[in-house]
Amino acid sequence: MSGETEAVSLSGTPTTAELAAVSNEEETRILSDAIRSLPPQAVKDLLNSEVCIACILRLFGFREHFHFRSSISSSMLHSVLGESEHLEHYGILAGSKSGEELEVQQIVCRMCLGILQYLYRNDKGILVQKLSADGLAASIDEMIKQDGHEIDGFSLELSVPPVLLEHDNAVWSYMKKRYGQEVGIAEETSKCVSVKDALKLAITYPIENMLDVKSSSIPSSFRIRLTYSQTKPSSSMAKSPGETNGSCKRRKTGMMNDVRMSFSVLVSCSFCFCFFAADVNGVPVRSSNFSGDQKSSEPCNFPLEKVNEPYYLALVCCRTPIYIGGRYLKFSRNVSQTRWIIDDERKGESSVEEIIGSSILPACQGDSYKFHAAGREDIDVRMLGSGRPFMVEVQNARRVPSEAIIKETETKINSLEEKLVAVKNLKLEVNNGWGLMHEGESEKQKQYCSLVWISRTLEDEDVQTITASKDMKVLQRTPIRVLHRRSPLEREKIIHWMKVERVAGSSQYFLLHLCTQAGTYIKEFVHGDFGRTNPSIGSILGCRAEILQLDVTDVKMDGF
Amino acid sequence: MADHTVQESNDPEKQGKPEFLLPVEDEGELRKLLVPDPENLPATPSSAVETNFVSYFAPDFTKPGHDQYVYRHANGLCVVGLAPGHLAFKDEGGITAVDFNVGKSDRSGMKVTGKRKKNAQHFESNTAICKVNTKADSYIVRCCVKGSLLEVNDRLIKQPGLLNSSADREGYVAIMMPRPADWLKVKASLMSGEEYAKLREVRVLN
Repeated sequence: MSGETEAVSLSGTPTTAELAAVSNEEETRILSDAIRSLPPQAVKDLLNSEVCIACILRLFGFREHFHFRSSISSSMLHSVLGESEHLEHYGILAGSKSGEELEVQQIVCRMCLGILQYLYRNDKGILVQKLSADGLAASIDEMIKQDGHEIDGFSLELSVPPVLLEHDNAVWSYMKKRYGQEVGIAEETSKCVSVKDALKLAITYPIENMLDVKSSSIPSSFRIRLTYSQTKPSSSMAKSPGETNGSCKRRKTGMMNDVRMSFSVLVSCSFCFCFFAADVNGVPVRSSNFSGDQKSSEPCNFPLEKVNEPYYLALVCCRTPIYIGGRYLKFSRNVSQTRWIIDDERKGESSVEEIIGSSILPACQGDSYKFHAAGREDIDVRMLGSGRPFMVEVQNARRVPSEAIIKETETKINSLEEKLVAVKNLKLEVNNGWGLMHEGESEKQKQYCSLVWISRTLEDEDVQTITASKDMKVLQRTPIRVLHRRSPLEREKIIHWMKVERVAGSSQYFLLHLCTQAGTYIKEFVHGDFGRTNPSIGSILGCRAEILQLDVTDVKMDGF
Repeated sequence: MADHTVQESNDPEKQGKPEFLLPVEDEGELRKLLVPDPENLPATPSSAVETNFVSYFAPDFTKPGHDQYVYRHANGLCVVGLAPGHLAFKDEGGITAVDFNVGKSDRSGMKVTGKRKKNAQHFESNTAICKVNTKADSYIVRCCVKGSLLEVNDRLIKQPGLLNSSADREGYVAIMMPRPADWLKVKASLMSGEEYAKLREVRVLN
């Protein structure tokens, strides 16, 4: 699959009011006038070479949506070009407005390969002929409604094979050479409207109408993607692989789909448009100069090659991921942050990821979710205080939840019977909270409270010593408990401050409150990890120290 | 405290407020969660090693009196060192020096990098890691477990006394990473802490 894709609406798209104003009769009249304005010999030449009316019009720079929405009827074409011509074979390329029987063997336009004739092969390989742009819009509408999407906007993305540009160039060159003088285009650069632009103009209005929404200039999260291609689209295009239980396992290498990504960069400079398009194997191939003066490396000649089969069309309607963020608290010492299963056995009672995700997913009616958090804590460590920032990424949400629904979801999670996890400040993240979160993970300070035991009595001196240290540097070798999966390194971390709170009724236990740099291993700071963390509480006090429990009391981050 | 094991929750009891504020709206609620009930606190809690490692012992390893321990973590890594019954501790003055320059290379010079533990040397269980010297004698300490040598305790070079004071913690000798199959083979030849304690009539952490 190769082609150029474009998700931005064209400027100059007529407003709904303007579009509505053009009635059927007027549309026919405008089309006829347009054809009449062109040199008749040129038009016949093109029709003879199996070029459809829409392509003829766009070649000469006509760029209103009604030029491409549906075609002129053969009878009208008849009257425009004159009775004496044999128009039988022209008529087929003209298409039909309503109800007329179409020949089963359609002649496919050699320039647009059926795209502007609304002729294509669907994902099952069956030939489909729509009477007009409305027909195609209706298919899209049906698909969206069947899937249950609630939308209030959309972004149209069209992808067509790059060879169509070459067709445009070839035909334009020919036109210039032969008819340039007549139409006064001998010196001009091409006014040709691309197939993509024409199609976009043609179907945007009917889609807007049927869905009762506007296509906006700001890309909406809801994407309607039409991909025309030579070869049959693989089934992996529409779905992303490997989802289980509604939650995606975190992938180390990031999100990689089986779909081959087509590559296109639109660079505009003051003199020309250059398209860099990739061929089927994703390798950048060549650039075509739009002015048509430069020869492309594989020149197309006029007349173009005969086309027997129109393109395949893959229709995908889905929403790009939406993000619901907030802060979570974890009250249980038996709940991991993410799903944790070893040898088919789950560790812990549940996971924060599943508790939160399983409530958010139905609220958005999405396909699946991914859980992201600003750092993590062990299964036996509680997350208290202000909570830890997190984001749930929802794939293909059928609706963007309103504030009310989100509030409802927050209440639902906090009212669960087991009270293992709670959430705060749940909201839809519009700006990319991503950067903030990762910043939170690696840069922000964290505050903890740990229950510590030492092998001798805690003296007042000890309390002084601990409390007095500010911004103490510790060197931590990778803790043995994670050494199997992390690099063996020595990391310098900072303990910003510490406070001791004695436990009434005990001389060897105390609560240690501490505030540390992100990435500090607290447990190892207390017990020393075979002396591999230095200094440690044990080494500072000159005795053995053990940690019995740990709680995170603050993750210092704004914005969540 | 356990690495990822279940912990009983403590009953909250309101204590006197500390001099600083905890950073949350409802400080009272948070305090209730944090402060433990002294009744529930054991006089001597189990150590981090006891909770997270399973202790194994190899008495008379390759030579009589060369007792070593292997502490195995749930993730498969093994900490090896000198067990309490080792002959070296019986020499007067205890251990005075540690030398990692044994056999073909200086074990303290190796650099293991990356998650995949590149450059880690693969050793047999009887490969020498270091030599410990007392006034009278010197003893070879061996891997005990077949696998990759991830780390040696180079602190022992400057502070050999760690072996005398805490051979079971700060005085560890090395960290090994055996393959699962290799571990199963060697496990069969090791004994538990209880058995070792009986054998040598010493106390061990179990």
